[in-house]
Amino acid sequence: MIDRRTGYRFALGRLMMIVLLCFALLPVLWSIVLTFRPKISLFTPIWEAPLAWSLDNFGALARSDFPAALINSLITAGGATILALIVGIPAGFALAKGGLRGTFQTSWALLLLRMAPPIGIVLPLFLTYLNLGLLNTRVGLTFAYMSLTLPFVVWSMWTSFSQIPSELIEAAAIDGATLPQILWKIVLPLSRPGVVAAAILGFLLAWNDFFFALILTRGQTATAPVAIMNFVSYASVEWGAIALATIVLTLPIVPVIMFANRYIVQSLGGAVKG
Amino acid sequence: MQHHATATGLGPATSLSGTATLRRQKQREYLRFIYPTIFLVGLFSFLPLVGMLALSLTDYHLINGWGGTWGLQNFARLVLDARFLNSIYVMLALSIGGVAVQLLVGTAIAVGLDQIVPRWKIARGFFTIPFAVPHVAVALVWLSLFTPTLSPINAALDAVGLPQPTWFSSQTGAISAIVIADTWANFPFVMLLILAALQGVPRDLKEAAAIDGASQLRTFFVITLPLLKPALLLVTLFRFIETLKHFPLIYVMTKGGPGRSTQATNYYAYVQSFENSNVSYGAAISVTLFIFAGFASFWVARINSRINS
Amino acid sequence: MKSSRTWKIAISVAVTAMLCQTGSAWAQEEEISVLMFSLPVTRGIAELTDQFEEETGIKVNVEVVGQNVFENQVMLAFTGRTGDLDVVHVPAIQLQRWVAAGWLTPMTDKVNGSDNAAGFFPSALTTYDVAGENYGLPMFVETGLMAYRTDLIDTPPATWEETKNTAAEVHSDATAGIVMRTSPGQGFNMFVLPMITRAYGGKFFADFPGDMSVVVDSPENLQGLDLYTAMLTESGPPGVSNINYPEAVALMQAGGAAMFIDGTSNVVPTLDPETSSVADKIGLAPVPEGPAGRSPAIAVHGLGIPASSSKADAAYRFIEWATSEDVQAQIAINESYPDFTRPAVGEHQDVADKYAAINPDLIQLRSASLSDTIPNYRPLIPQWPEIGAAIGDNVNSALNGIITNAEALKNAQAEVQEILDQ
Repeated sequence: MIDRRTGYRFALGRLMMIVLLCFALLPVLWSIVLTFRPKISLFTPIWEAPLAWSLDNFGALARSDFPAALINSLITAGGATILALIVGIPAGFALAKGGLRGTFQTSWALLLLRMAPPIGIVLPLFLTYLNLGLLNTRVGLTFAYMSLTLPFVVWSMWTSFSQIPSELIEAAAIDGATLPQILWKIVLPLSRPGVVAAAILGFLLAWNDFFFALILTRGQTATAPVAIMNFVSYASVEWGAIALATIVLTLPIVPVIMFANRYIVQSLGGAVKG
Repeated sequence: MQHHATATGLGPATSLSGTATLRRQKQREYLRFIYPTIFLVGLFSFLPLVGMLALSLTDYHLINGWGGTWGLQNFARLVLDARFLNSIYVMLALSIGGVAVQLLVGTAIAVGLDQIVPRWKIARGFFTIPFAVPHVAVALVWLSLFTPTLSPINAALDAVGLPQPTWFSSQTGAISAIVIADTWANFPFVMLLILAALQGVPRDLKEAAAIDGASQLRTFFVITLPLLKPALLLVTLFRFIETLKHFPLIYVMTKGGPGRSTQATNYYAYVQSFENSNVSYGAAISVTLFIFAGFASFWVARINSRINS
Repeated sequence: MKSSRTWKIAISVAVTAMLCQTGSAWAQEEEISVLMFSLPVTRGIAELTDQFEEETGIKVNVEVVGQNVFENQVMLAFTGRTGDLDVVHVPAIQLQRWVAAGWLTPMTDKVNGSDNAAGFFPSALTTYDVAGENYGLPMFVETGLMAYRTDLIDTPPATWEETKNTAAEVHSDATAGIVMRTSPGQGFNMFVLPMITRAYGGKFFADFPGDMSVVVDSPENLQGLDLYTAMLTESGPPGVSNINYPEAVALMQAGGAAMFIDGTSNVVPTLDPETSSVADKIGLAPVPEGPAGRSPAIAVHGLGIPASSSKADAAYRFIEWATSEDVQAQIAINESYPDFTRPAVGEHQDVADKYAAINPDLIQLRSASLSDTIPNYRPLIPQWPEIGAAIGDNVNSALNGIITNAEALKNAQAEVQEILDQ
């Protein structure tokens, strides 16, 4: 059925996809190459020294502060996400189904909080933390990250919950279910994709952060992005260690995102379709 | 909207005033769900914002301390500051350029995955990998790709005798480099959102068009693209607002150079606050940026509420 | 009504809390925290800390971070008087600023009361004097040197003019004629550029410290800047306009440049066969001179005690130990560290042997170069970091052809004036 012109276009489309895939994968493949290159041949094109490989970077990374920082990153970003879900899901539910006034203003306010430039708010936060004794603590950083994740979770759960027919909730209310029961037993199971999407996208907001961690933590509580910057040191940038750290930092998240891909699309679909 | 349904759901026996009371009671119950959020957001997001505003109205300096004057002097200084005006230009160039490229790449991939190569299931996964890489790492990896002495791209071009690009020697080059890295880090978001919107495009509409003899390309432009409009609008504004906050890419890749040609506003706020110790002046820059972003987010909220209603 | 009162109380509590920032004075004496940024010497100190703990019973938490991370974190620790730092890395270039802000504890009495403080290069030690008080002991002093490829250049150029010509002669696609730092920043391009401008008689101030009239846009400075930009654009490597020391070192090590003029700590790694593919083809020479003589760069790093530390005595013991002859000699063996601050270290046989094996002239060249340096190579005033950044930005713009050299100096002149007027 496909005539020659369509076939030609189709081939062109495939070529475009291959080029784009190369763009997406180039930095990944390059990081893998850098990871295994010994220092002395880093600056030699790979085809001129195809056999120069080394595992030195693994030792260097293991000896550095990076492993501890990676755990800190997981704890603080994960903690901030869990906290945001616990607090934000009921709020999103109430905003979607509570028939409350001022929802437009609220949605704007939530977005505004996402706008807050970290460079501006980090100093007041620093001064507050100094007095609350929260500097250099994982708890403090978790709460700082929550300021990133919570508005987002509320906003996106609000969108998700709006898709659920109100009749379902009313029917349950007539049956005598309390609001928390309705949320837990009826609404949440129906919004699973939304929860997964909000959790993952929220987690990434915190996971991505560099600035809060730079200013609010030090030493044993620093996170992975800060630890990576420590490989940029005097007289040398440890490219191999940086590449390896990037891979180590990315690996645990990739399967989660791949798995959740479908849910994210589903839930974003809700957001754009209405 | 919803509470009308609630009222009818309770049956005809309920009087009108009773409905109102019940509604209020219900609202109070719902409000309790929001209090913890208000408390936490107030403490960790709102209060620091107030602090930022307070700093911008005074004269706190990291080294000289606090002089004790209050007023709008920092904002008055901003208006005359050539570096600030330059930073706005850089910010807009980065944002507009970045968003345009991301939108193009993200949409192309989404449409491609949906319509050209729907069976490349693994490719879809590969395309989401950049999403998982923290921006500092993104910046470092791309820095290595843009460093002429290290980059395999330059080495390959050199090997075949082509001129090598030197990204960080001109404003255009440096801005392009940041846009490329930013695109790599963020096209997955655009892609996912457009994929989501594509699912909402009814198949039979496209099939009908195909039967009518419309070419694939025509079908895309006439039928699919208009249906993607709300999604494209939303993602544009979202990404635009995010790009206004550019920091790690500039901090790691160019440090604002060459010269000052990539000092975007948010980075300039950092330079003033942390390198020059003018915390209050830096805060004034942040406040200005925040107000600007506030206007932008107003539109997002408007559009979003229109889509959701 | 009620809520407005609650707000008032909350605000006043917050304000009071912000104002009363007192470090806890009752902390134990047995544990101190040290924050340094990554240099061969700081890494060396971190490695040897066990020895200090054994000797004294004081527990030490040493943290060595990247330079960028260090600068942000230390400023905030000082401003917030967090009190959780007892020993801190003090780059000489920041010293005046930190002292002016009251962030460092004077150590004069402690230094005068100990024998260990004798035996430093006198200029390195006096760098840490501000208004008659001492604020630190030097652990690292580096000066400018030139590394050149012996297979490409027979005799190293003696003047900047010759350097420019030699660079142009040997420049090829594979090997750039010369590489120097070009990234904007007081510690980047502004670390190397004054070597040229000063050689032409250029200065920052008319007569430091007596006459502080800004003379950044003087004809001498322009001459120097002209040479720098012409030499690097004609004979520099690709991407020359954004090169910092790590890239420059890497390029030289990979055989991508014929000459490299920088601090000793960056020049010496090009002689290391483990990381440099041209280690056996590199010679060392003094920094070139100009009509007004020779002015090698100087950078000093030391250790000091934050004003908010409550453990000054233990902190000083650590500083004294870390900068002692014995520890410096050990680090000189363990790391690439020809930048020791005590001449006696170079007389240790094993140290002398190690560096003679790297390059027979290294130690002697370094001492000679050190004696050519002036302490105010980069003017040691509190505003320097800001001034250096302003000039550095403009110089980098000029190198990239965004503005002319004369414009760059004119802009820089105006900006420096503005910073000083503030």
